[in-house]
Formats: sequence, C-alpha cells, structure tokens
Amino acid sequence: MLSLTSPIKTGFHSVPVGPKFASLMIASIVLFINNTLTFQALAFGFVLGLYLWPGTAFFSVGLKMLWPLWPFVLIVFLWHLFTQDTVAGVVIVLRMFSAVAVANLVTMTSRMDDLIGLVTWAATPLRRVGLKPRILAVSIALFIRFLPVLIEKGAFLVESWRSRSTKRASWRVVVPMALLALDDAETVAEALRARGGVDLVDD
Amino acid sequence: MGQILKSIGEVSIQGVSLAKSGRDILNRISFNVTHGRVGLIGRNGSGKSTLARVVCGLIKPDQGCVLIDGIDVFKDRHQALEKVGILFQNPDHQIIFPTVIEEICFGLTQQGQSKDTARQMAQAALEKFGQAGWAERSISTLSQGQRHLVCLISVLAMQPAVIVMDEPFTGLDRPTTGKLTQILREMQQTVLHISHDLEALQDADRVIWIEQGKLQMDGAPNVVLPAYMAAMDVVGGQDAFADITD
Repeated sequence: MLSLTSPIKTGFHSVPVGPKFASLMIASIVLFINNTLTFQALAFGFVLGLYLWPGTAFFSVGLKMLWPLWPFVLIVFLWHLFTQDTVAGVVIVLRMFSAVAVANLVTMTSRMDDLIGLVTWAATPLRRVGLKPRILAVSIALFIRFLPVLIEKGAFLVESWRSRSTKRASWRVVVPMALLALDDAETVAEALRARGGVDLVDD
Repeated sequence: MGQILKSIGEVSIQGVSLAKSGRDILNRISFNVTHGRVGLIGRNGSGKSTLARVVCGLIKPDQGCVLIDGIDVFKDRHQALEKVGILFQNPDHQIIFPTVIEEICFGLTQQGQSKDTARQMAQAALEKFGQAGWAERSISTLSQGQRHLVCLISVLAMQPAVIVMDEPFTGLDRPTTGKLTQILREMQQTVLHISHDLEALQDADRVIWIEQGKLQMDGAPNVVLPAYMAAMDVVGGQDAFADITD
C-alpha cells in the first residue's frame, strides 16, 4: 500500500487532493448510513463505474488491489452463514469493498508530495504543541522510502539463515535487522544534515 | 588449509529459467562445473546474483534444476546444506548472531551437530584461520574485513563441496582483498566466484560470462575477460544506465 500512485493517467489525477479527500470522507460516512442490500449494491456498482471510466487497464489494476481483502470476506461470509444471515454478510462485504476501493482510488490518483502536503496542512494545529509540520512531512517520506529497504535487508538475513538451515528463520533475525535499521537511521540523518536538515527552513 | 573434504562438488545447471514480475531474469542456462575456481561475470542486472541463489537452492527456478553431486539443491535442502554454501556481498546482511562463535556454530548445529561438537568444530575452524582468540568477540567490534572473514569461516566450517561467492570482497581495501583471495586460491572446494573485480579472476580456472540471463561466453580467463572488457567499454560509451532489456 506504500506507493500506490498509478502510472495510468486518469481524469482523477487532475482533481486537487483536498476535494478528493473531502469526497472520500463524505463517501465513507454515506456508506455507513444505509444498511440495505440495494443501496450497497448500487454504491459498489457506482464505484466500479468510477474505475471503469479511465479504461479497462485501470479497472483491472483496481480490482487486483482489492484482492488482499479475501481473508476478511471469508470470515464475514462464514460467520453470516453460521448465523444464517447471508444478506447482512453481503451488505458488509459490499460496503467494505466500496470503502476500500474509493480510498484506493484517491491514493492511486494523487501524487505523494500532495498527500504529504495535505497531512502536513491538517497537522498545523499541532504547532501549538511544538510539532513543526515540515518534520512530519519528512518523517512520512522517510518512512515510505526506507520501509522497503528494511524489508529487503530482512530478506537478506532470512536468506543467510536459509542457506545454513532447513528450518524457518526464527525470531533471531529480528535483532540484526533492528541494528541495521538503527545504523541506517544514523546514515540517513547525516545525509539530511548535509543538505540542510529539517529545521533550517521554518514554514 | 588441509581440510578433509567430504567430496569435491560437481555442479550441473540444467536449463534453468526464471522470470520475475514478467521479466526474464534467467533464460535456459545450462553449464557444468566439476572442479576448480570458476568466475562468473556480467553486467549489473544480468542475472548473476539470481543464478547464485538458484545454485545454492534458495530460489526455485521456473524451469530446469541445479544438481550438485546428483542432489537437487532446492528440493532436498538437508542434503543441500552438506553440498553447497554461499557467501554474500555484505557481512552486515549476513551475520545473524552477536558473537563470532555463535555465528560459526549456527550452521553446524543446523547440520545436526550437538552444541558441544559444534563449538569444538567452530573453535577448530577459527584456529585454522589463525584467529583462535576471536571466539567470544562481539561482531560489532570487528572491522569490515574481519567480518568478511567470519562469514567465510562460518561457511567453510560446514565443509560444503561447493562454495558460491556473490561479490564477497566488495568494499574491502587492497591488502584485505589480497589476503582473502589468497585463502580462496588455496581452497579445494569447487568455487563459483561472482565478481566485478576482473583482476581477481585472472588466475581462475574458467570464466563464464552471463548476459541478460543467458550464457554469453565460457572459457579461459585470458579469452573471456578481454572480450568482456571490450564489450563493456562499448556499452559504457553508449548508455550504461539503460535498463538491460531495452
């Protein structure tokens, strides 16, 4: 979910982030007001339409991004089969798909720095407790940049384990991974400082 | 070094193909290595590191297989541990335990040795490399070159018949590289040595050049290395940063 921006350009890309997020908030609220099957089916159909509008390529990417929800779908269905209330189960699943799909749509069609800008703007009240918005913005960007790097280093350590053991890697690889993260943090801090740091510019 | 080897490994790479996210990384690669030190060269992204992992049994090829002394190294992991070991590029991405002796013991206990036997074997391995005093040393107190040596000892202690080395001396200074290469030369195992350091491969027994996941050239160092260098100079003159498949 870290870098969802779609390379396929759509009409949604040119809509500013603020209105998009406001619409997302309203859509989420609306989805939770009505519990009827008809409404949820119509809503989901509408969302599918939004994905189909830019073309079939975009549509199939959007559908693929709903795949990780399958465990929840399974649990919900099994439960409602058990309570013999399948309609309620379908309502819940449809609502879940609609809500996630709309959220994905916003993330996919918004540039990363616009998203960070929005979060930073929303955090301006926190200035009163001393949080500079710029620090928040850089932190988010760093997190998104370095999480895959850390995961990759974790993968190297697991490889090192698997090359010497037939057993699955145990918790023991977490320790060197944490140490690597700390080392990386120091190096990145140096790199940031070399380019002016986070607190030279006061915005 | 005087190790008693269980066997000298014969590696048979048979029609190995592997694709990732729609991209062909390895394309029907086949060759055999029966002994000696074989260099593996190629551009960044040519598939060398992936091939190293397939030869070690860490990745399953989409097609084909790798047999070492008849053992399929991916399917039979237990036997594979006895047959092949791998040395990665960066010790910090490889060393799992905080002290030297623990790191060396790990592979030995995974091979089925008891804790005490593993400890004795690990200590013996350190002595063989003249570092008997390192046993309880913390890894963080060792230099990069020393960490490289710990990784090498950890792999050699398991006495594999074949060792794969994925650019093992990156970032080391000249004297350390020289010393470690000297150790490499004296090893009797079959060694598959991936390297960008062409100088280190001048005295290899054979050099194999991989290009875009395919076998480009296979022969003596004094034939393959100059051909490779000439080709790379041409590429460098054009656009070294283009995606390999472009």
